[in-house]
Amino acid sequence: MPTKPRISWRRGLLAFVVLAFVIGGCYWMRRSKGGGMTEFEGARPIHPQDIALPDGYAIEAIATGLTFPTGVAFDEAGGIYVVESGYSYGEVTDTPRLLRVEPGGGTRVIASGGGNGPWNGVAGHEGAFYVAEGGAFEGGRILRVTPDGQIVAIADSLPSMGDHHTNGPVVGQDGWIYFGQGTATNSAVVGEDNASFGWLERHPDFHDTPCRDVTLTGVNFESTDPLNGGETTTGAFSPFGTPTTEGQVVRGRVPCNGAILRVRPDGGAIELVAWGLRNPFGLAFGPDARLYVTDNGYDERGSRKVFGSGDYLWRIERGAWYGWPDFAGGRPFFDDDIRPVLARAPGNPPEPAAVFGVHSSADGFDFSRNAAFGHVGEAFVALLGDMSPPVGKVLSPVGFKVVRVDVESGVVEDFAVNEGDTNGPASWLGSGGLERPVAARFDPSGTALYVVDFGVMTMTERGPEPRKETGVLWKITRSGSR
Amino acid sequence: MSAGRIAPLLIAAGLTVGCGQARRSEPLMGPLTLQSDAEQGRTTFMKYCQPCHPGGEAGLGPSLNDKALPTFLKKFQVRQGIGSMPSFSEAEISDQQLDDIMAYLKALRGHEGEPGG
Repeated sequence: MPTKPRISWRRGLLAFVVLAFVIGGCYWMRRSKGGGMTEFEGARPIHPQDIALPDGYAIEAIATGLTFPTGVAFDEAGGIYVVESGYSYGEVTDTPRLLRVEPGGGTRVIASGGGNGPWNGVAGHEGAFYVAEGGAFEGGRILRVTPDGQIVAIADSLPSMGDHHTNGPVVGQDGWIYFGQGTATNSAVVGEDNASFGWLERHPDFHDTPCRDVTLTGVNFESTDPLNGGETTTGAFSPFGTPTTEGQVVRGRVPCNGAILRVRPDGGAIELVAWGLRNPFGLAFGPDARLYVTDNGYDERGSRKVFGSGDYLWRIERGAWYGWPDFAGGRPFFDDDIRPVLARAPGNPPEPAAVFGVHSSADGFDFSRNAAFGHVGEAFVALLGDMSPPVGKVLSPVGFKVVRVDVESGVVEDFAVNEGDTNGPASWLGSGGLERPVAARFDPSGTALYVVDFGVMTMTERGPEPRKETGVLWKITRSGSR
Repeated sequence: MSAGRIAPLLIAAGLTVGCGQARRSEPLMGPLTLQSDAEQGRTTFMKYCQPCHPGGEAGLGPSLNDKALPTFLKKFQVRQGIGSMPSFSEAEISDQQLDDIMAYLKALRGHEGEPGG
């Protein structure tokens, strides 16, 4: 009786191990395919039909030609307002502005800021607007803007001159203004990457400040010195070129980096809500009246690179520490080569409510509250999209869409994506769809979801290249089943 | 060439060469109906796999939806890790949860509904 050819388990295992090396090696040899790694020239085409939505939903462009828009808000009469950032990665500056979107798509300037962008988000409350002034140049502020264009700072001197800025804000049922304050660095160590961002030369002594006292392990990092030439050594929570020692205590204070903070609408003392976050960008209160926050995870850059960290949606617990700079997503790093900088963790980080793709840049979001729109209680989150390769390699564009999240199960589902064989921004796909969604917010009726699209930002050898006047405000409604 | 030599090549082809496009999400393919094991698998997938393979598509890691890998190899890959992929122990992902993830991936890969639902 003829025997059937068989693979011995030893041979199969050997083949698989060899295969593992082949594939593992291939991964590191493959070049990045980030969504920004494309060419763009001329005007941005706008074709809503290039955007796919679940059955029964429709999308339209409400306003176009915006420059770096980051947020949308509404007044009591249902009027629509957007903020233009006035600053973008790539060190491109413009005038930060609050605009009213008129019927027909035109805009009218309500208020203009100085040269201290980016204005990262806006919230309407009792006849005024609250704007997070990112403060890349002079430090962050929370601004109260009245419809006649008057601007008053209700919080200032926020530590925003680094990689990440002052973000949000959102108004709580308690009447406080809640906002996010990003970290100065990727993972608590100032390095060459911060020179690439542009701020290290402006503020050579700037570094992360913890909200509470922390004790360091004294791990230091060697890097080249782009300011003075040669090499230098830097520790965590310290100025560039300043090493740390084992057992060194860094005093915490408020305001601090990587935190959720709050202030009353008329100003006063800033209070700490939660800390140990990295770049808490979007804030919204859920149907359970609890605060939720999107947080941009670590990058694979700088003196302390972290590979494979997703972005997170956190359910905020008052006073909790969320793990930065030694944990990701509530867990220690899986890469043992990344040594902790904290001798003692300040707490046990909570579990995230949801996890998004690595480098997806989960940003502004809102909860559905009207059955007419559907998915009541789910969060609709704008994913700006990757900025690869400077933040790390990806095998395909990540983000560039709007997703919905069941915050009880953590299930993330696409909601608005570009048509095509692969995911990516419109400029990458050669279409007229979504570019970089940066915020999503329902109108007061809850029947329309407005999506703020930052516009085109390509990634080149010179760094990010954002394009002015390519931002769009989209509106998604439910038209009923076809 | 014997079957013993061909098999690894077929596996390699399955790993590295996609079969059709990987996009399976609701806006493009309509809603996905899941059995209870796959539903459980989706929840676990979201916690451990979503960051690198969002929706089973490529991202930091390769796409999963267009790869015809045998289930035992996928499980081996999860337990041992390959290249840049970390390994996940039974303490992190139990055998039952791993089975459920496989059920979810199978359902996702087979989802070819009408675009737009």
